[in-house]
Amino acid sequence: MKALAFLIALGAAAPASAQNLAVIHAEAWTLAGPEPVHDATILVGDGRIVSIVPRGGVPAGATVIDARGKPVTAGLVNAATQLGLVEVSSAADTVDQASRDSAGGPFDLSMALNGNSTLVDLARADGVTRAVIYPNPSRAGPLSGEVATARLREGADIVDRANVAVFASIGGGEWDSIGSRGRQWQTLRKMLSEARKQPDAPQNSRRRGKDRSEGSPRGPQSEEPIRAVAAGRIPLAIATHRETDIRQAIALARELGIKVIILGGAEAWRAANALAAAKIPVILDPQNNLPGTFDQLGARRDNAAILFKAGVPTAFGLVGGPIHMSYNAGMALRGGAGIAVANGLPYADALRAITVNPLAIWGVGGGGLAPGGDGDLVVWDGDPLEPSANALAVIVEGKQVSTQTRQDLLAQRYAKVRP
Amino acid sequence: MLAGTLWLTGAYPAAAQKVAGWQEDPFPSTYRAPPQADVLIRGGIVLDGAGKRIDGGDVLVRGGKIVAVGKGLANPGVREVNAAGRWVTPGTIDVHSHNGTYVLPLTTIDNDASDVSELSSPNVADTWIETAANPQDIAFARALTNGVTTIQILPGSTPIFAGRSVIVKPIMASTIAQMKVPGAPQGFKMACGENPKSYGADDDNEGPTSREGVIAYMRNAFLDAQDYKRSWDRSRAGVGPAPARDLKREALAGILAGDIRVHVHCYRANDMAAVLAIAREFGFRIASFQHAVEAYKMPEMLRETGTCAAVWSDWWGFKMEALDAVRANAPLLQRAGACVTMHSDSPSDGQRLTVNAAEAAGAARRIGIDIPPEEMIRWTTSNAAKLLGLEKRVGTIAPGFEADIVLWSGSPFSIYTKADLVMIGGGVAYDRSRPETQPVSDFEIGRKAMQP
Repeated sequence: MKALAFLIALGAAAPASAQNLAVIHAEAWTLAGPEPVHDATILVGDGRIVSIVPRGGVPAGATVIDARGKPVTAGLVNAATQLGLVEVSSAADTVDQASRDSAGGPFDLSMALNGNSTLVDLARADGVTRAVIYPNPSRAGPLSGEVATARLREGADIVDRANVAVFASIGGGEWDSIGSRGRQWQTLRKMLSEARKQPDAPQNSRRRGKDRSEGSPRGPQSEEPIRAVAAGRIPLAIATHRETDIRQAIALARELGIKVIILGGAEAWRAANALAAAKIPVILDPQNNLPGTFDQLGARRDNAAILFKAGVPTAFGLVGGPIHMSYNAGMALRGGAGIAVANGLPYADALRAITVNPLAIWGVGGGGLAPGGDGDLVVWDGDPLEPSANALAVIVEGKQVSTQTRQDLLAQRYAKVRP
Repeated sequence: MLAGTLWLTGAYPAAAQKVAGWQEDPFPSTYRAPPQADVLIRGGIVLDGAGKRIDGGDVLVRGGKIVAVGKGLANPGVREVNAAGRWVTPGTIDVHSHNGTYVLPLTTIDNDASDVSELSSPNVADTWIETAANPQDIAFARALTNGVTTIQILPGSTPIFAGRSVIVKPIMASTIAQMKVPGAPQGFKMACGENPKSYGADDDNEGPTSREGVIAYMRNAFLDAQDYKRSWDRSRAGVGPAPARDLKREALAGILAGDIRVHVHCYRANDMAAVLAIAREFGFRIASFQHAVEAYKMPEMLRETGTCAAVWSDWWGFKMEALDAVRANAPLLQRAGACVTMHSDSPSDGQRLTVNAAEAAGAARRIGIDIPPEEMIRWTTSNAAKLLGLEKRVGTIAPGFEADIVLWSGSPFSIYTKADLVMIGGGVAYDRSRPETQPVSDFEIGRKAMQP
């Protein structure tokens, strides 16, 4: 508690525009090896990590955060959540995960992201500094929306990158208007083949990686996202679980030469070697050990351990299903990674699955705790994979951000009333 | 023990009936505990569930019961288990489960007609959830292997009067009766707030459409049950014939008589206050509020009425009445002297209730409240037993209690910890070192997708 008060006081004293920040006495999880760097000094300047040196010096004028020997990790990255699109999930006018307009092509959810959401504050307080946001499946067709990444800086604008990937879903009960997954795969294949035949978009109109802060307003939706997938410029994220569908996805990627990411993948462990050979990444919920649907009969908690061992690029997201994956986008992610460790995944790999791997898989890159890396890091009061641990300090883009949540304020308000 | 079987209606003359209809158990338990395995658990970190911690503590189990707890116990000649570096606690009790009715995998058949709630009326007080629950739900096995030894299966929260609950042991069985805890108090589920009002607001359904309507519906039903109970009271005093059987009225009359424990699904403080006012008006007690996300705003009321709050550590925001949920709910209630327990409501969270407790305690540390492990463990053991009315039988490691015990590989509050040994009634229900004790449900058998 004392340490927390100390850090909060520090945060309040730091000028908002601080250019230089030093975290001292850190157990720094650089992931360069299986062990952390002890008593590290981490220097952050101009929004990036400058150096990580055991017992390193602190430049004059730097704002100092004393980690007191506690773990410091890169900012956590949730590889698949709907954070920023959801406020009250059962109140339809407060959510933006789905488009009911099936004619307009995949919709751009980046324009719906809301950094003022109370869910975002909580995720940030739980150590999440970036998140990959995906849309709901469309009941009408294969593609529903584009995937975007968010950077959990303070303020309303948390968009990092729009149009990171296109989202599709395959499985039992998906796409009501189509039926059998045989037809689902056929339809998807046809759309991609036709998109490939169309003349390629001019180089300068590619929206890949365009930062919305550059100010170019998004025009009306066209066929462009599916063409970008067909041309192999951005991945197609296929939400699917069953072994047969995972093998279909591998075949689709091979035949059309496109990039595919498996989202969900409850039975991915059953195709681990094929996925590794095809270099197809999997984003999975490490908590999942229940057959929620017939597509997920093979759900098991060593899914992640098996995939890592086989060499499949793997990251964690979707953790805890609809109840948790957005409402506890940080807490469920951490606990899920802990469950993966308890079921055979090496600790450092679990940290990779919630820091560098998500950004690598989605083609964004960065995110590590290393010199030259993004200035996103978290000081913890204990093992971050334990749900009982708290983030003492969260730094986004080189600036310390608030970790106070609406829940903290409510708890404090009612804790005060009574002796 | 098996009270219901002694009270079959036919054993008494129809006039001047001594035993009221609600006291019968038409679905009596046929439970048998796993074969007894006397054991001395030696040198563990023992949390007794009731607030005590013994480092290097021993627990002696004989004849299905806990015989002794302490340090350096003499071994009377039973198997000894070395618990050095491991933790020993009472078995976890999940007071809110839909296992057996929310059976995974869900299919379109469940979407069309689920067994979680009977939806023909807002008053389905005549239903008993044990007549629906499927013992082959793999969620029972997942719970057991994660240290759960007692589960209350509740009906869902769509009806206002949702029916009888059942308390079971998560052992492999062909029928729920074989899992049903014998002699446990009857439980009953009620619901207030968004769920029942949303149901009533649907054009096809009967029932109130607002919070105030739900509370009024409850009062009207209890008024009616009061009349019915008076007829039973006269009959039992020998001054009149027994009233005609009416399964809905007699369940409510049993609540008024204090024979059936009421568990009410409520989120907001004001919903809970309104239900407590009804209990006061009609002279009965509310055993628990389920979910109780705003309980931290009104702990005094719960303390005064002896009502427990069954809470989550981290479910919040998914509906309007859950907006003010805080992770520190349990610690705040504990500090205020109210009875609080964790609960799952889900087969996933039902596998890590002790870790949920740790998460709640971690949130309390953010506002300067420290809860030690020996207190946290109450939320999944002795307090949960109290909520169910089983506090003299399970939930505490003390002489005379049933030997429901978990030997954990480490702290039960760590995400990395596993249940090494799970004992129910002094028998081995699960031993992680012996694969043959791993429960396998009928559903899993012969399904290739589930086999390595």
